Amino acid sequence: MCGTCGCGEPGGPASPIRAHAHEPSPAPGHEARRVEVETSLLAANEANARALRERLAGLGIEAVGLLGAPGCGKTSLLERTLEILAATDPDAPARVAVVEGDCATDHDARRIATRGARVAQIETGALCHLDAHLVGHALEKLDLDGVERVFVENVGNLVCPAPFSCGESRRALLVSTPEGDDKPEKYPAMVAAADCLVVTKTDLLPHLDFDVERCVERARRVRPGLPALAVSARSGAGMDEWLAWLAAGGRR
Amino acid sequence: MHEARLCLSLLDLAERHLERAGGERILAVRVEVGALSGVVPEALASAFPICAEATRARGAELRIERSAGRDLVLRDLEVC
Repeated sequence: MCGTCGCGEPGGPASPIRAHAHEPSPAPGHEARRVEVETSLLAANEANARALRERLAGLGIEAVGLLGAPGCGKTSLLERTLEILAATDPDAPARVAVVEGDCATDHDARRIATRGARVAQIETGALCHLDAHLVGHALEKLDLDGVERVFVENVGNLVCPAPFSCGESRRALLVSTPEGDDKPEKYPAMVAAADCLVVTKTDLLPHLDFDVERCVERARRVRPGLPALAVSARSGAGMDEWLAWLAAGGRR
Repeated sequence: MHEARLCLSLLDLAERHLERAGGERILAVRVEVGALSGVVPEALASAFPICAEATRARGAELRIERSAGRDLVLRDLEVC
């Protein structure tokens, strides 16, 4: 007996990869035949992402993705970015739109809204990442007239967001100093999907064993030449470099 | 955790090809899963029979081929 579900088919725990057939034989008079497909399962999201990226580009908007673990400082980096922009031009935050992704609550959206940016919160429920379809609908809720930049703050997660583009032109991967400088080696798919490594919470460095150079070197083993910078949203250190990377624009 | 969602995309794609081929039922599905695709083959295999229950791939066999790289591809179907 099959040990996986107790049906009468052979198989069982020794072959966990083969989801065994319960109705394996064709009906009488119907020959089994092979149908070629050869289609990527991510193709639908890739098409949605491309369409969204082009729609935004047509409006003169570049979307930048923020990826990283829960608590790595994605929202804090955005808050500080908006604060610095507002210091030179009080109207600048209004030209920024933010899509916030979390499993639950609109806490992050409220934080961003107080800084003057337009913001849409996606509550994903059990879903562990955003995708182009979700982000496209979230942006439909916002008036994008006059917006120059969109930030897509993904669900805090170092695994699932990697293969799902959300229509961003570039993605920044945040690694906070308390997480440890070996994070890029532990989550290589995330590094492979990133266009910039941002080490955050550098104000905590005196209390930790985190080595910024070692972290960057480990990320570059996965993705050679990956741009990298180190910031503290709290002290403001490194924020100039972050703003310069944002302003540099460009595509992957 | 997103394997169930990918499974639904997989079944949606498979059913469209079944229809195009004029078949009635999907007997087997062959999928290539890359090591950097972000998909865990074991999780995909667990999700498949549950997701397939309400489709014309009910009871179908999922054949997973592992590869290097980031590919996640529906290779072919066995239909009748």
